[in-house]
Amino acid sequence: MNFFKRAWLNVWAKKGRSVLLILVSSAILMFVLAGLLIRSAAVKATQTAKTNAGATITLSANRQAAFKKMQSSSSSSTSKSSRPKLTLTPVKLSDAQKIAKLSNIKSYNVTSSTTANAKSYDTVSTSTGMGGNSGGPGGMKSGSSSSGDTQIDGVTATSLTTAFSDSQSKITKGRGIKASDKGTNNVVIEKELASQNNLTVGDTMTVKETTGSKSTIKVKVVGIYKASSTSSASAGPMSTDPSNTIYASYTLANTIKGSKYADTADSVTFNVNNPAKVSATKKAGNQLISSKYALSTDDATYQSVKSSMDNVASFANKIVWLVAIAGTIILALIVILMVRERRFEIGVLLSLGEARWKIVAQFFTEMLMVIVIALAIAGVGGKFVGNQLGSQLVAQSTTTTQTTSSSTGQPSGGGQPGGSGNSGMRGGAGGPGSATTQAAAAKKTELDVSVSAVDLAELGGFGLAITFLSIMIASGGILRLEPKKVLIS
Amino acid sequence: MLRTEDLGYWYQDKDHPLFQKVNLEFEEGQSYAILGHSGTGKTTFLSLIAGLDKPREGEILLNDRPLSKIGLTNFRRHDVAIVFQAYNLFTYMSPLNNLLTAMAITGAQHAGDKGYAQRILNDLGISDDLILRNVQHLSGGQQQRVAIARTICCDARLVVADEPTGNLDEDNTQAVIAQFQRIAHEQKKCVIIVTHEPDVAAQCDHQYRLENKQFVQLA
Repeated sequence: MNFFKRAWLNVWAKKGRSVLLILVSSAILMFVLAGLLIRSAAVKATQTAKTNAGATITLSANRQAAFKKMQSSSSSSTSKSSRPKLTLTPVKLSDAQKIAKLSNIKSYNVTSSTTANAKSYDTVSTSTGMGGNSGGPGGMKSGSSSSGDTQIDGVTATSLTTAFSDSQSKITKGRGIKASDKGTNNVVIEKELASQNNLTVGDTMTVKETTGSKSTIKVKVVGIYKASSTSSASAGPMSTDPSNTIYASYTLANTIKGSKYADTADSVTFNVNNPAKVSATKKAGNQLISSKYALSTDDATYQSVKSSMDNVASFANKIVWLVAIAGTIILALIVILMVRERRFEIGVLLSLGEARWKIVAQFFTEMLMVIVIALAIAGVGGKFVGNQLGSQLVAQSTTTTQTTSSSTGQPSGGGQPGGSGNSGMRGGAGGPGSATTQAAAAKKTELDVSVSAVDLAELGGFGLAITFLSIMIASGGILRLEPKKVLIS
Repeated sequence: MLRTEDLGYWYQDKDHPLFQKVNLEFEEGQSYAILGHSGTGKTTFLSLIAGLDKPREGEILLNDRPLSKIGLTNFRRHDVAIVFQAYNLFTYMSPLNNLLTAMAITGAQHAGDKGYAQRILNDLGISDDLILRNVQHLSGGQQQRVAIARTICCDARLVVADEPTGNLDEDNTQAVIAQFQRIAHEQKKCVIIVTHEPDVAAQCDHQYRLENKQFVQLA
């Protein structure tokens, strides 16, 4: 093992050259480590997105099937007066419960919306909007004969709705609607509506049904929420002011709609544990429901984060390989020059009978000593370079993903339009795929660039491979060298 | 000890060899000088007997064993020590480490023995304060003595030297030649020196001149 000693003596004696080699190797390894860190951080971010971004499957009436049915009735009917209407079948809760039992379903939210008229209070009216009209935001107006000035959004729990989970709406007093409110007349009203009518938590108010017996129902305020300005601005001319939206249990909304709507819903949104399994869950769910219903999926947030992180990971991968290849070439050229400069030494070693592989091993050991120090330097500097490069990449990749997403018309959870009668199936307020949500998710997607032992081990592997390859490339000169030509001139 | 049988060498044209049909014998305990003008092929002859190149024809035998059978690397490692005109020391080492490295590579009997290496260097006039200095800080004469010390510390029975006094002044030349004589007579090694200086050759036990592609023994 004499070549170890020779290697050490050489590295120590030629300090200037060794320092230069350490600097070059450090620069190469620093970029390799930066690439490795960004790649692993992107993978980690995708994993986090799986658990945090969420994905939903919505069970609702099959509009396409209903439309076909209407068309077939229309062709058989000749008189104008008996023209058929588009009738959407409300979702039976018993069907929803079957899907809820699937393994990947984390929770579900029943949505049943309708309208009612204010009895004991005044609704909020806006000068630009068309207050008093019914219909959910984003959805078509319900049957004109049954329009009311108050929108009743029946849900399982407010926390499960997109508006609250995305913090577009926030409970400011009291509490939100919970699953335990099922069968009660508890409601959550908007702050503006509350202040206009001097209502607070614990007060009661009366609403009047818009159809049937038009009886009045007393409801109890259990919470007050504040809707964001975005929601107000997004309200269309045909919709009631968003402040007139009251959240209640879906059972209350069904009561207002009429007795035939008991144990039904406009739609049921299921939250899926793992967004990657949305398709499989949808497939399994389809087997449990009739053709009158349809399942639609929305994993846009996950897909947005995944796509963004895939871009980052792919770019980081390219950085790793490009730097590794360039580094190998650079180091190989340096070693080739080193071999040429040291051919007399190699000649003397050969004249002493040293084996050629031991001479190659000496050069490899010298480079290894350099690489070990370079690894330590790269370990410290790589995190900094990785952070800078990573945030730049994420910013660029997020912008690209959002631009692509909006230009390809990514659906923003449009929801189902209103149906006939007073079913009032309103459009969804925007699922997780809405532009606001995507932007929020993208904003949240930050790379956690930290150096772990695994990263350092991987870097060590790369360093070793780069050193080995560069020495192998350069060793051709050693293996071909004839001592006579060098030593005897 | 070392014998050549019908040795011949040429570079490109077989019809114009440097030398051919060379039959020489070199014995232990004797010093030999090979004289000749520049370009006659004496250094090429040295490279063949030092195992740095292969002959184009004929054979070189060490104790009746052909070098082709021994293997050139093995031969260089165990049986021959070479001294060059340009010293060819490891420039990043001290004289002591030069000797220890050579002893380790050749697997010499005293490999790793610093005291032994130090004694040899001291015997050749390399003082203790020079022993640990980088060899580049030594004079030409001192470097050549370190190169000679390197041949002594290895156990090789054959020592070949290519113009060992070419870069030295008169005093150092005499000192170096005296060392080679001691190596031959006291350590009973076979010393072959290639030189173009008749004065240096005259101090060796046997002299050969390479002329007209043949080696001629001088009286």
